[in-house]
Amino acid sequence: MALPQSLRTSVTPLELELIASEQLVEIVPLITMEKTAFISGAYGPLRPPAKCRIPLWMATNLKLKKKCHIVPPEWLSVDFLQERLTRETSRPEFSKLPFRFAEIAKVILDVASDDVQNADKIKSLLKDLREARQAKSRDGLQKLDHSELSLPNLCSMEINEIRPFFIQSMGILTQLVREPSAE
Amino acid sequence: MDNDYFSIDAILAENQKIQCTFKVDIPDMGHLAGGSDRDIKSLTKAPIPIWLAYIMLFSDWADFTIPSPFGTRVRNALKAEPRSVKLSNLVGAGGLWYGFGKMVMDILSEEQANGISEMLTKAFKGRLLEVIDQAQHFAALGPAGGGGPSTDTAQSFREGLDGTERELFALAQESAKRMKRWHEGNDKARR
Repeated sequence: MALPQSLRTSVTPLELELIASEQLVEIVPLITMEKTAFISGAYGPLRPPAKCRIPLWMATNLKLKKKCHIVPPEWLSVDFLQERLTRETSRPEFSKLPFRFAEIAKVILDVASDDVQNADKIKSLLKDLREARQAKSRDGLQKLDHSELSLPNLCSMEINEIRPFFIQSMGILTQLVREPSAE
Repeated sequence: MDNDYFSIDAILAENQKIQCTFKVDIPDMGHLAGGSDRDIKSLTKAPIPIWLAYIMLFSDWADFTIPSPFGTRVRNALKAEPRSVKLSNLVGAGGLWYGFGKMVMDILSEEQANGISEMLTKAFKGRLLEVIDQAQHFAALGPAGGGGPSTDTAQSFREGLDGTERELFALAQESAKRMKRWHEGNDKARR
Protein backbone atom coordinates (compact mmCIF):
# COMPACT_ATOMS: atom_id res chain seq x y z
CA MET A 1 0.00 0.00 0.00
CA ALA A 2 1.14 3.48 -0.75
CA LEU A 3 -0.44 5.04 2.32
CA PRO A 4 2.00 6.20 4.99
CA GLN A 5 2.10 3.99 8.06
CA SER A 6 0.29 6.48 10.25
CA LEU A 7 -2.78 6.53 7.99
CA ARG A 8 -3.16 2.78 7.62
CA THR A 9 -4.43 1.98 11.09
CA SER A 10 -7.35 4.38 11.26
CA VAL A 11 -8.67 7.66 9.96
CA THR A 12 -7.23 10.83 11.42
CA PRO A 13 -9.11 13.14 13.79
CA LEU A 14 -9.08 15.77 11.07
CA GLU A 15 -10.87 13.46 8.68
CA LEU A 16 -13.51 12.79 11.30
CA GLU A 17 -13.87 16.50 11.78
CA LEU A 18 -14.44 16.84 8.06
CA ILE A 19 -17.16 14.19 8.15
CA ALA A 20 -18.80 15.83 11.14
CA SER A 21 -18.84 19.15 9.29
CA GLU A 22 -21.63 17.78 7.12
CA GLN A 23 -24.02 17.88 10.06
CA LEU A 24 -26.57 20.64 10.22
CA VAL A 25 -26.42 23.43 12.77
CA GLU A 26 -28.66 26.40 13.39
CA ILE A 27 -27.42 29.85 12.61
CA VAL A 28 -28.73 33.35 12.79
CA PRO A 29 -27.60 34.87 9.50
CA LEU A 30 -26.50 38.48 9.24
CA ILE A 31 -26.71 38.53 5.45
CA THR A 32 -29.39 37.70 2.93
CA MET A 33 -28.83 34.83 0.54
CA GLU A 34 -31.13 33.03 -1.83
CA LYS A 35 -31.61 29.29 -1.57
CA THR A 36 -28.46 27.82 -3.05
CA ALA A 37 -27.78 24.34 -4.33
CA PHE A 38 -24.65 22.49 -3.15
CA ILE A 39 -23.54 18.94 -3.86
CA SER A 40 -24.91 17.74 -0.51
CA GLY A 41 -28.22 19.56 -0.93
CA ALA A 42 -29.86 22.95 -1.17
CA TYR A 43 -29.60 25.28 1.82
CA GLY A 44 -31.19 28.59 2.57
CA PRO A 45 -32.65 30.99 1.94
CA LEU A 46 -30.97 33.14 4.57
CA ARG A 47 -33.21 35.96 5.78
CA PRO A 48 -32.02 37.72 8.90
CA PRO A 49 -33.07 37.50 11.64
CA ALA A 50 -34.82 34.17 10.93
CA LYS A 51 -32.89 31.09 12.05
CA CYS A 52 -31.75 28.65 9.42
CA ARG A 53 -30.20 25.18 9.38
CA ILE A 54 -27.06 24.78 7.28
CA PRO A 55 -24.10 22.39 7.37
CA LEU A 56 -21.40 23.06 9.90
CA TRP A 57 -18.74 23.72 7.26
CA MET A 58 -20.84 26.48 5.76
CA ALA A 59 -21.63 27.93 9.16
CA THR A 60 -17.92 27.98 9.98
CA ASN A 61 -17.17 29.74 6.75
CA LEU A 62 -19.86 32.38 7.26
CA LYS A 63 -18.93 32.84 10.90
CA LEU A 64 -15.31 33.54 10.05
CA LYS A 65 -16.50 36.22 7.64
CA LYS A 66 -18.71 37.58 10.44
CA LYS A 67 -21.83 36.90 8.43
CA CYS A 68 -23.70 34.81 10.97
CA HIS A 69 -23.97 33.74 14.59
CA ILE A 70 -23.94 30.03 15.32
CA VAL A 71 -26.66 28.82 17.67
CA PRO A 72 -24.99 26.08 19.71
CA PRO A 73 -26.91 22.77 19.80
CA GLU A 74 -28.83 22.22 23.02
CA TRP A 75 -26.36 19.61 24.24
CA LEU A 76 -23.54 22.12 24.11
CA SER A 77 -24.53 23.82 27.33
CA VAL A 78 -23.25 23.77 30.87
CA ASP A 79 -26.43 22.21 32.27
CA PHE A 80 -26.56 19.32 29.84
CA LEU A 81 -22.87 18.50 30.05
CA GLN A 82 -22.83 18.81 33.81
CA GLU A 83 -25.69 16.35 34.04
CA ARG A 84 -23.93 13.93 31.70
CA LEU A 85 -20.70 14.23 33.63
CA THR A 86 -22.46 13.39 36.88
CA ARG A 87 -24.05 10.40 35.23
CA GLU A 88 -20.74 9.38 33.66
CA THR A 89 -18.93 9.36 36.96
CA SER A 90 -21.67 7.67 38.96
CA ARG A 91 -22.62 4.82 36.63
CA PRO A 92 -20.51 2.09 35.11
CA GLU A 93 -21.79 2.36 31.53
CA PHE A 94 -21.13 5.08 28.98
CA SER A 95 -23.81 7.74 28.92
CA LYS A 96 -25.50 8.67 25.70
CA LEU A 97 -24.07 11.58 23.80
CA PRO A 98 -24.38 12.70 20.17
CA PHE A 99 -22.18 10.38 18.09
CA ARG A 100 -19.93 13.16 16.79
CA PHE A 101 -20.11 15.48 19.79
CA ALA A 102 -16.36 15.83 20.21
CA GLU A 103 -15.77 17.06 16.67
CA ILE A 104 -18.74 19.41 16.56
CA ALA A 105 -18.02 20.86 19.98
CA LYS A 106 -14.42 21.53 19.04
CA VAL A 107 -15.27 23.21 15.74
CA ILE A 108 -17.92 25.42 17.30
CA LEU A 109 -15.75 26.34 20.26
CA ASP A 110 -12.83 27.07 17.95
CA VAL A 111 -14.57 29.43 15.59
CA ALA A 112 -17.56 30.68 17.52
CA SER A 113 -16.71 30.68 21.20
CA ASP A 114 -18.31 34.13 21.46
CA ASP A 115 -21.67 32.62 20.48
CA VAL A 116 -21.49 30.01 23.24
CA GLN A 117 -22.36 30.93 26.79
CA ASN A 118 -19.73 29.96 29.36
CA ALA A 119 -17.38 28.65 26.69
CA ASP A 120 -14.56 28.11 29.16
CA LYS A 121 -16.73 26.17 31.56
CA ILE A 122 -17.98 24.02 28.68
CA LYS A 123 -14.43 23.37 27.55
CA SER A 124 -13.42 22.12 30.95
CA LEU A 125 -16.59 20.03 31.24
CA LEU A 126 -15.87 18.41 27.88
CA LYS A 127 -12.36 17.63 29.03
CA ASP A 128 -13.62 16.04 32.25
CA LEU A 129 -16.16 14.07 30.29
CA ARG A 130 -13.50 12.82 27.93
CA GLU A 131 -11.26 11.72 30.79
CA ALA A 132 -14.07 9.94 32.59
CA ARG A 133 -14.92 8.06 29.42
CA GLN A 134 -11.30 7.24 28.72
CA ALA A 135 -11.02 5.65 32.14
CA LYS A 136 -13.98 3.46 31.24
CA SER A 137 -12.59 2.31 27.94
CA ARG A 138 -9.38 1.49 29.79
CA ASP A 139 -11.40 -0.78 32.05
CA GLY A 140 -12.93 -2.31 28.96
CA LEU A 141 -9.46 -3.24 27.78
CA GLN A 142 -9.10 -5.43 30.84
CA LYS A 143 -12.09 -7.49 29.84
CA LEU A 144 -11.00 -7.72 26.23
CA ASP A 145 -12.20 -10.80 24.46
CA HIS A 146 -10.80 -12.24 21.27
CA SER A 147 -14.04 -12.60 19.38
CA GLU A 148 -16.32 -9.72 20.19
CA LEU A 149 -16.37 -6.19 21.44
CA SER A 150 -19.42 -4.05 21.88
CA LEU A 151 -19.14 -0.32 22.16
CA PRO A 152 -22.50 1.02 23.29
CA ASN A 153 -22.70 4.81 23.30
CA LEU A 154 -19.08 5.24 22.37
CA CYS A 155 -18.50 8.22 20.11
CA SER A 156 -16.73 8.33 16.79
CA MET A 157 -13.67 10.10 18.12
CA GLU A 158 -13.28 7.65 20.99
CA ILE A 159 -13.73 4.64 18.78
CA ASN A 160 -11.15 6.05 16.45
CA GLU A 161 -8.69 6.56 19.27
CA ILE A 162 -8.86 3.03 20.61
CA ARG A 163 -9.27 1.32 17.24
CA PRO A 164 -5.62 0.60 16.33
CA PHE A 165 -4.54 -1.15 19.48
CA PHE A 166 -7.86 -2.81 20.26
CA ILE A 167 -7.87 -4.44 16.85
CA GLN A 168 -4.25 -5.48 17.12
CA SER A 169 -4.66 -6.98 20.58
CA MET A 170 -7.81 -8.83 19.57
CA GLY A 171 -5.91 -10.20 16.59
CA ILE A 172 -3.14 -11.44 18.86
CA LEU A 173 -5.60 -12.99 21.27
CA THR A 174 -7.28 -14.81 18.40
CA GLN A 175 -3.94 -16.40 17.63
CA LEU A 176 -3.25 -17.34 21.23
CA VAL A 177 -6.61 -18.72 22.27
CA ARG A 178 -7.31 -22.33 21.40
CA GLU A 179 -10.92 -23.14 20.88
CA PRO A 180 -11.81 -26.25 22.86
CA SER A 181 -13.81 -27.51 19.90
CA ALA A 182 -10.83 -27.42 17.53
CA GLU A 183 -9.74 -30.87 16.36
CA MET B 1 2.20 -14.13 14.75
CA ASP B 2 0.05 -15.71 12.08
CA ASN B 3 1.40 -18.54 10.00
CA ASP B 4 1.21 -16.60 6.80
CA TYR B 5 3.92 -17.51 4.30
CA PHE B 6 4.86 -13.88 3.76
CA SER B 7 4.77 -12.83 7.40
CA ILE B 8 8.19 -11.61 8.48
CA ASP B 9 7.21 -12.10 12.11
CA ALA B 10 6.40 -15.74 11.50
CA ILE B 11 9.76 -16.27 9.80
CA LEU B 12 11.61 -14.64 12.68
CA ALA B 13 9.71 -16.66 15.24
CA GLU B 14 10.47 -19.86 13.32
CA ASN B 15 14.16 -19.15 13.69
CA GLN B 16 14.04 -19.88 17.41
CA LYS B 17 15.67 -23.15 18.39
CA ILE B 18 14.17 -25.95 20.41
CA GLN B 19 15.99 -28.76 22.10
CA CYS B 20 15.49 -32.02 20.22
CA THR B 21 16.54 -35.55 21.05
CA PHE B 22 17.14 -37.74 18.03
CA LYS B 23 15.45 -41.11 18.03
CA VAL B 24 17.28 -42.56 15.05
CA ASP B 25 20.80 -42.51 13.66
CA ILE B 26 21.26 -40.04 10.88
CA PRO B 27 24.37 -40.85 8.86
CA ASP B 28 26.72 -38.22 7.43
CA MET B 29 24.90 -35.31 9.00
CA GLY B 30 27.11 -34.81 12.04
CA HIS B 31 28.26 -31.38 10.87
CA LEU B 32 24.75 -30.04 11.29
CA ALA B 33 24.81 -30.72 15.00
CA GLY B 34 28.01 -28.71 15.23
CA GLY B 35 30.18 -31.60 16.44
CA SER B 36 33.06 -33.28 14.77
CA ASP B 37 31.32 -36.63 14.59
CA ARG B 38 30.46 -38.01 11.23
CA ASP B 39 27.00 -39.26 12.07
CA ILE B 40 24.24 -38.07 14.36
CA LYS B 41 23.67 -40.92 16.80
CA SER B 42 20.30 -41.59 18.31
CA LEU B 43 19.73 -39.98 21.72
CA THR B 44 21.98 -37.09 20.75
CA LYS B 45 20.57 -33.77 21.86
CA ALA B 46 20.80 -30.77 19.62
CA PRO B 47 19.06 -27.39 19.35
CA ILE B 48 17.12 -27.34 16.11
CA PRO B 49 15.36 -24.31 14.62
CA ILE B 50 11.61 -24.73 14.53
CA TRP B 51 11.31 -24.65 10.75
CA LEU B 52 13.50 -27.74 10.59
CA ALA B 53 12.02 -29.34 13.68
CA TYR B 54 8.55 -29.66 12.16
CA ILE B 55 9.53 -32.31 9.65
CA MET B 56 11.72 -34.19 12.10
CA LEU B 57 9.00 -34.36 14.72
CA PHE B 58 6.25 -35.33 12.35
CA SER B 59 8.43 -38.03 10.77
CA ASP B 60 9.11 -39.32 14.27
CA TRP B 61 12.89 -38.94 13.94
CA ALA B 62 13.17 -36.86 17.08
CA ASP B 63 11.46 -35.75 20.27
CA PHE B 64 11.58 -32.31 21.74
CA THR B 65 11.37 -30.79 25.16
CA ILE B 66 9.27 -27.71 25.80
CA PRO B 67 11.73 -24.83 25.49
CA SER B 68 12.67 -23.03 28.68
CA PRO B 69 10.88 -19.75 27.85
CA PHE B 70 7.67 -21.74 28.33
CA GLY B 71 8.89 -24.02 31.11
CA THR B 72 7.62 -24.35 34.63
CA ARG B 73 9.85 -21.62 36.03
CA VAL B 74 8.53 -18.98 33.67
CA ARG B 75 5.02 -20.27 34.04
CA ASN B 76 5.13 -19.88 37.80
CA ALA B 77 6.66 -16.43 37.51
CA LEU B 78 3.88 -15.39 35.14
CA LYS B 79 1.28 -16.81 37.44
CA ALA B 80 2.66 -14.77 40.31
CA GLU B 81 2.82 -11.46 38.44
CA PRO B 82 2.69 -11.29 34.65
CA ARG B 83 4.04 -7.75 34.60
CA SER B 84 7.29 -8.56 36.36
CA VAL B 85 8.54 -11.08 33.79
CA LYS B 86 10.91 -9.79 31.17
CA LEU B 87 9.68 -11.54 28.06
CA SER B 88 12.32 -10.02 25.82
CA ASN B 89 15.07 -11.67 27.86
CA LEU B 90 13.53 -15.07 27.32
CA VAL B 91 13.76 -15.07 23.56
CA GLY B 92 16.63 -12.72 22.79
CA ALA B 93 16.68 -9.23 21.33
CA GLY B 94 13.63 -8.32 19.24
CA GLY B 95 12.30 -11.75 20.08
CA LEU B 96 8.71 -12.71 19.63
CA TRP B 97 7.76 -14.63 22.74
CA TYR B 98 4.12 -14.90 21.75
CA GLY B 99 4.95 -15.91 18.19
CA PHE B 100 7.37 -18.56 19.39
CA GLY B 101 4.83 -19.77 21.92
CA LYS B 102 2.21 -20.05 19.23
CA MET B 103 4.54 -22.21 17.13
CA VAL B 104 5.34 -24.48 20.05
CA MET B 105 1.66 -24.69 20.85
CA ASP B 106 0.88 -25.83 17.32
CA ILE B 107 3.31 -28.74 17.53
CA LEU B 108 2.16 -29.98 20.90
CA SER B 109 -0.63 -32.40 21.65
CA GLU B 110 -4.05 -31.19 22.70
CA GLU B 111 -3.59 -31.13 26.46
CA GLN B 112 -0.18 -29.51 26.56
CA ALA B 113 -1.19 -27.04 23.88
CA ASN B 114 -4.14 -25.93 25.96
CA GLY B 115 -1.78 -25.35 28.86
CA ILE B 116 0.51 -23.18 26.76
CA SER B 117 -2.40 -21.34 25.23
CA GLU B 118 -3.74 -20.54 28.66
CA MET B 119 -0.37 -19.29 29.80
CA LEU B 120 0.08 -17.08 26.72
CA THR B 121 -3.43 -15.66 26.93
CA LYS B 122 -3.21 -14.90 30.63
CA ALA B 123 0.19 -13.32 30.25
CA PHE B 124 -0.99 -11.19 27.35
CA LYS B 125 -4.11 -10.00 29.10
CA GLY B 126 -2.26 -9.37 32.32
CA ARG B 127 0.32 -7.21 30.61
CA LEU B 128 -1.85 -5.47 28.05
CA LEU B 129 -3.23 -2.81 30.34
CA GLU B 130 0.21 -1.80 31.55
CA VAL B 131 1.49 -1.62 27.96
CA ILE B 132 -1.33 0.71 26.91
CA ASP B 133 -1.12 2.80 30.08
CA GLN B 134 2.53 3.42 29.60
CA ALA B 135 2.10 4.15 25.91
CA GLN B 136 -0.50 6.79 26.70
CA HIS B 137 1.60 8.18 29.48
CA PHE B 138 4.51 8.66 27.11
CA ALA B 139 2.30 10.16 24.46
CA ALA B 140 1.05 12.70 26.99
CA LEU B 141 4.57 13.71 27.93
CA GLY B 142 5.18 15.08 24.45
CA PRO B 143 8.50 15.29 22.64
CA ALA B 144 10.33 17.20 25.38
CA GLY B 145 9.50 14.99 28.33
CA GLY B 146 10.95 11.75 27.00
CA GLY B 147 13.56 11.37 29.70
CA GLY B 148 11.42 12.30 32.64
CA PRO B 149 11.90 10.64 35.99
CA SER B 150 10.29 7.24 35.60
CA THR B 151 10.11 4.65 38.29
CA ASP B 152 12.28 1.59 38.10
CA THR B 153 9.45 -0.88 37.74
CA ALA B 154 7.96 0.96 34.79
CA GLN B 155 11.35 1.20 33.16
CA SER B 156 12.15 -2.45 33.55
CA PHE B 157 8.69 -3.42 32.35
CA ARG B 158 9.29 -1.48 29.15
CA GLU B 159 12.63 -3.17 28.65
CA GLY B 160 10.93 -6.52 29.04
CA LEU B 161 8.35 -6.01 26.31
CA ASP B 162 8.46 -8.60 23.57
CA GLY B 163 8.25 -7.66 19.88
CA THR B 164 4.50 -8.07 19.67
CA GLU B 165 3.92 -5.84 22.67
CA ARG B 166 6.30 -3.23 21.34
CA GLU B 167 4.18 -2.96 18.24
CA LEU B 168 1.09 -2.45 20.37
CA PHE B 169 2.90 0.14 22.43
CA ALA B 170 3.79 2.09 19.29
CA LEU B 171 0.24 1.91 17.98
CA ALA B 172 -1.30 3.14 21.20
CA GLN B 173 1.25 5.89 21.59
CA GLU B 174 0.77 7.14 18.04
CA SER B 175 -2.99 7.16 18.43
CA ALA B 176 -2.89 9.04 21.73
CA LYS B 177 -0.44 11.56 20.29
CA ARG B 178 -2.67 12.21 17.33
CA MET B 179 -5.66 12.85 19.59
CA LYS B 180 -3.64 15.15 21.78
CA ARG B 181 -2.48 17.14 18.78
CA TRP B 182 -6.03 17.48 17.54
CA HIS B 183 -7.45 18.49 20.88
CA GLU B 184 -4.82 21.08 21.54
CA GLY B 185 -4.57 22.59 18.11
CA ASN B 186 -6.75 25.58 17.37
CA ASP B 187 -6.72 25.72 13.62
CA LYS B 188 -8.74 28.81 12.93
CA ALA B 189 -6.18 29.82 10.39
CA ARG B 190 -6.73 26.66 8.38
CA ARG B 191 -10.36 27.34 7.67
